[in-house]
Amino acid sequence: MLDLRLGIFGMLSDAGVVVLLVLSLLLLFSIISWAIIAFKFGYLRKSLRESKAFLDYFFEVSNVDKVFTESENFRYGSLPRVFRSGYIEYRALGDKGDIRQARARIARAVKREVNAENKRLAALVPFLATVGNTAPFIGLFGTVWGIMNSFHTIGLTQSASLAAVAPGISEALIATAAGLAAAIPAVIAYNSFTQKISVIERDLEEFAPEFVAAFINEP
Amino acid sequence: MKKGQKHQYGEKNFSLWLVGAAVMHVVVFFLAFYFQIWDAGRHSKPKTVTITLVSLPGSGASRENSDSGAAAEAISTPSQAVAPPPAPLPVSKKSVKAPVPAPAPVLVPEKASVLPKKISVDPLKPKTIEKKPDISQALERLKQNVDKKTAQSPQPSSNALNNALARLQQKVKSEGGATGTGTGKGSGQGASSAGQNGAGKGSGGGGTADSYKAQIASIINQNWSFSKQLLKKSFGMEVYVRINILADGTIRQILFDKRSPSEYLNISVKKALEKSSPLPVLPKEEGSRDVWIGFVFTPEGIE
Repeated sequence: MLDLRLGIFGMLSDAGVVVLLVLSLLLLFSIISWAIIAFKFGYLRKSLRESKAFLDYFFEVSNVDKVFTESENFRYGSLPRVFRSGYIEYRALGDKGDIRQARARIARAVKREVNAENKRLAALVPFLATVGNTAPFIGLFGTVWGIMNSFHTIGLTQSASLAAVAPGISEALIATAAGLAAAIPAVIAYNSFTQKISVIERDLEEFAPEFVAAFINEP
Repeated sequence: MKKGQKHQYGEKNFSLWLVGAAVMHVVVFFLAFYFQIWDAGRHSKPKTVTITLVSLPGSGASRENSDSGAAAEAISTPSQAVAPPPAPLPVSKKSVKAPVPAPAPVLVPEKASVLPKKISVDPLKPKTIEKKPDISQALERLKQNVDKKTAQSPQPSSNALNNALARLQQKVKSEGGATGTGTGKGSGQGASSAGQNGAGKGSGGGGTADSYKAQIASIINQNWSFSKQLLKKSFGMEVYVRINILADGTIRQILFDKRSPSEYLNISVKKALEKSSPLPVLPKEEGSRDVWIGFVFTPEGIE
């Protein structure tokens, strides 16, 4: 019969309540982190791809009506969304008597959509930063607590042999390992997403005035 | 309205990913678990056969079994007598004519001097039954070798052999039936004279041995500092331990037949036994020999 008590699961079964709580919390963090990573990875990739394709089309075609029709095919892109909000505002103006006022209203609508898009892009990403920063410390807390208990037991048993010391410490170290396992992917994903989001935001800041100008200069 | 629908779609999408991540973690845990099992199986050591060749000097549990007639019969079939004590291997009795195993080493003195050393490594493993075919083969070979030797040995040495056999008979008488399986006078928990493979559970004995065992159990219990509250679990907390006591009461050897999952309990038992040494001098009935006595330590006390 295999001695499963020697493995990780055996150590988990012997771990104390605090260590188990810490491990449960880290497991929850890890699950949420991975869900965010998967969700955001797909979302940002689509947004980048569709924004790029939309920009190509926007500079090819000068007619805003055609561009708007085409933008309906880019449901996830940030730039097509901003363009659509500006176009809707432009069409709502009706007559273009006061160009200055029309420009201000369209610019305001575009800016509002840019802000909304920025929020949408950055949503859930700060949680990755939180996990990346706190998970190792939470794991460390579990380890310190486990080692504290381990030394207490050593004192009670009045034995400092390796057989008495090592199991408690190894149980406690699982918490640190779990903290690092939760934090490392979260930090990597956070850095990657931040970089992608900054690219999209830069595009939004640069091309939003272009969209406004396109609506105003529409013949 | 459209934005609300989009938001709901996004939330639903994220919920799906959340479920997916949870499933992924479960899968990773299962993989880790099975990898652990696979890895443990890969590094498991092969089971040894030598553990069955146990012939510890047991105390006289059931002296009726160690009659001279039985000893003489064992002498006439020496190779079979080398067979392991029948306590853990009741089936092997069929092939062993004489139940007394001790005489054999005299006929094969070189091997007899080797066997006890092997015993002290790990005498009581329950895996012996699985390896029975190998043992019987080994016994057959041993029997043939002994027969050859007896056939080749010159006549003048028969006197020496007879002397050796007489000594062995005497020894067997004094040791009692090492294979005492409860056919002796005493019955019940007379585990003090467990014999060779008794592991502390052998029956027989009775009389002074029981009182002596009770006496040393009381001493060990006094020296045993153990707190039940320190145990995280109570399941399977049993320590089967045997001690080899010299005639002067000194504990020569401590053997753990079964350790508990808690190192704390194991260590506390060991310390209690070490602390209890030397124990009271062995009863005179035991002679000048050393005896093996088995105990079962549980969080509730010594059994």
